[in-house]
Amino acid sequence: MLFLALVVIGVSMITFAISHLIPGDPAMLVAGDRATPEIVERIREDMGLNKPLPEQYWIYLKGIVSGDLGTSLRTRRPVTEDLKLYFPATLELAFVALVLATAVGVPLGVASAVWRDKPIDHLVRALAVTGISTPAFWLGLLLIVLFYGDLGLLPGGGRIDPDITRPPTVTGFLLIDALLAGDLTAFTSAVRHIILPALTLGFVHLGVVARQIRSAMMEELQQDYVRTARANGLSRRNVIFREALPNALIPSVTVLGLALGDLLYGAVLTETVFAWPGMGAYVVNSIQALDFPAVMGFTVVVSFAYVLVNLAVDLLYMVIDPRIRSVN
Amino acid sequence: MIKLRFSRRVFLAGATALSVLTCGSTAALAAAPADTIVIAKPADPQSLDPAVTMDNNDWTITYPVYQRLMKYETEDGKGLTSVTGDLAESWEASEDGLTWTFKLRDGQKFDDGSAVDAEAVKFSFDRLFRIGQGPSEALPGGVEVTVVDPMTVSFKLSETYAPFLYALANNGAAIVNPKVAEQSDDDGKAYLASNTAGSGAYRLASWERGQTVTLEPNPHYGGDKPAIDKMRIIIIGEASARRLQLEAGDVDIAEALPEDQLEALEGKDGIAVQNYPSLRVTYLYMNNQKAPLDNPDVRRAISYAVDYEGLIAGILNGNGKQMHGPIPDGMWGRDESVIQYSRDIDKAKELLANADAEGAEITFLYSDADPNWEPIAIATQANLAEIGLNLKLEKLANATMRERFDTGDFGMATGNWTPDFADPYMFTSYWFDSDRHGLAGNRSWYTNAQVDELLREAALSSDQAEREKLYAEVQKFVTDEAAYVYLFQKDYRIAMRDNVEGFVFNPMLLDIYNIAGMSK
Repeated sequence: MLFLALVVIGVSMITFAISHLIPGDPAMLVAGDRATPEIVERIREDMGLNKPLPEQYWIYLKGIVSGDLGTSLRTRRPVTEDLKLYFPATLELAFVALVLATAVGVPLGVASAVWRDKPIDHLVRALAVTGISTPAFWLGLLLIVLFYGDLGLLPGGGRIDPDITRPPTVTGFLLIDALLAGDLTAFTSAVRHIILPALTLGFVHLGVVARQIRSAMMEELQQDYVRTARANGLSRRNVIFREALPNALIPSVTVLGLALGDLLYGAVLTETVFAWPGMGAYVVNSIQALDFPAVMGFTVVVSFAYVLVNLAVDLLYMVIDPRIRSVN
Repeated sequence: MIKLRFSRRVFLAGATALSVLTCGSTAALAAAPADTIVIAKPADPQSLDPAVTMDNNDWTITYPVYQRLMKYETEDGKGLTSVTGDLAESWEASEDGLTWTFKLRDGQKFDDGSAVDAEAVKFSFDRLFRIGQGPSEALPGGVEVTVVDPMTVSFKLSETYAPFLYALANNGAAIVNPKVAEQSDDDGKAYLASNTAGSGAYRLASWERGQTVTLEPNPHYGGDKPAIDKMRIIIIGEASARRLQLEAGDVDIAEALPEDQLEALEGKDGIAVQNYPSLRVTYLYMNNQKAPLDNPDVRRAISYAVDYEGLIAGILNGNGKQMHGPIPDGMWGRDESVIQYSRDIDKAKELLANADAEGAEITFLYSDADPNWEPIAIATQANLAEIGLNLKLEKLANATMRERFDTGDFGMATGNWTPDFADPYMFTSYWFDSDRHGLAGNRSWYTNAQVDELLREAALSSDQAEREKLYAEVQKFVTDEAAYVYLFQKDYRIAMRDNVEGFVFNPMLLDIYNIAGMSK
């Protein structure tokens, strides 16, 4: 917890310093194209920008503690309100993408390690490199052109069909909210909308996961215990899935934890292509508008989420690796 | 060897899920319904408060939701820059031009059923000045609004202001339901940022941030019931995605498509790409206070060195025309007898030699707020290199660049300008009055006492013929002294489904649709 607080203070201080020291006056931006200096001055006062920097930071920090991240200069709403709206959409997309990447990446990595240097291994490695090196932007457009434009199978963007009434917001995750409301129409629409962006986002990380699992598996498969297990008459299948894979997963969990962080930050391009109403578009627009309360709010929240994920990863270690548990 | 087997159950489940997911596709991909106009926009609106927003992207929503005292006229399906009464039935000015009295039209109602009366007009303008942000700039300071009787309201100006009637058709002059003050105690600011309270043909039905904004008819609207039952705005950041949805028929109008996408759409079945002459101009600021640009000969040399035709052909695909002085084609008061610079390298070199400024270095600012600015910067750099001027390009965040305009810390820069009201005042007083140096409008920091005098006289006069004469004088000065590089007027191009009917383009109302008069 202490660590968490330190991270938040550190991150908020750095972002605060950066956003206040870069040239550019947000008051001028708010005032519009043709405002006189008097109008700009009045807005500067309204926004508290005429106070000394340390005082502004102190006000900001006090706000964070009470859950107030300030008011966005651009949307003129509390940043927490905006984040509540956009963060779940991004998180939902990142989770689904991660699940896809894991569900496909792990079996591919295992297959690749087991049939090392066989055609399937070459294929997986090629796929992994393609995944890592394909710009999400390009892949996303390609998928839209194919599945929306040519085949007409899936929607071309958005989170849900605009004609469908949204289920009441409980968690902010549309898939879950739709299920909670028992609204199958909304659920189906939400699933259909998330497929292409999640594929796009997940494809990049699929390569990372497959490669990680492949190398970890290859290492495990050469260990003595594997040979012993085989000599003791365990089937190859049992050895791979019961003995080697759990061990190979340990380092992969770290990779997956980091991947989730990447996915949160990296969803920006995918969100733009698929008109996904997440934090990506929000933060890009905020940066361009020098909307520093919004940018800082985003940074603080994502750093917080990142730290939490790392914490979860550490806890997960204990579950999958008894050795760590016993040391602790 | 491991045998990987698909169990039949897994396979069946997968197949079922897939068919459920794709069978809804026909419904989802059907064209937008006939009573709905769907518009794809690149960005979400920011504030819907007419006293706050200075952004056409927000005006798409606010303009059809509110009414104003005056409105732009339409003639044979063509939007004009002249104005006529909207909420105002009649109006008159006092002898001295200082007091304007408006008689309001009967039967106009806000969307909650309450009447639009003189109190509402007074409330709206008082509020506009109390909030005092960008939109209040279109009107002169010190305006006093008085309720004469329930349907009559008068405005007392502290000095005559020629563009007054025109400014009343501007988005900021919207008449707001006084009840908003009860909605939030900051003059209704928090409420109006994301709600509407107007008397226009439509009202805000819903706003799913970052996704859709939907307008529905105002049930109490005083005019004819519109044919379109819903205007839906869908936010799609990526231009190619907007184009695809337009082609598929999910979207009726796609905004802000780049030239190459528009070219590709032209001639496609079901799509109409429209071209309209607009009043949006692109020009270059030259800091008149800073050497070597403080020398008119250097500014003239630059004006002769720029390849106007090349820019229009290369960057706009020919969809635009070169400016002829500061006032664009389509705006009254334009004088075409003034000099229009064209590319003449020899003359430019000669002028530069006279000014003894060969080899000078000039910083040139641009941002990516307009995708055309970078190619303009690069082309200008090459053009000026030919006459021996060295442009140092600096690409900045738009906000940072604007701050430098205000402090005068730049040599040259790119800029766009669209008028807020249909009066040459917008292209003269703003651009050349030395009181408006910097961001306020005189971005070239141009200073000429004679021009100041002419401009102030023109702004006070209510005699249009006399004003035209004064503006003609101004145009002579500012073209001869090359206060700016007057580049081009860009056509407004928009792609729609070809079954959309009744759209009236008004050069004063970019990104604004007369939905009440549209159908499909």
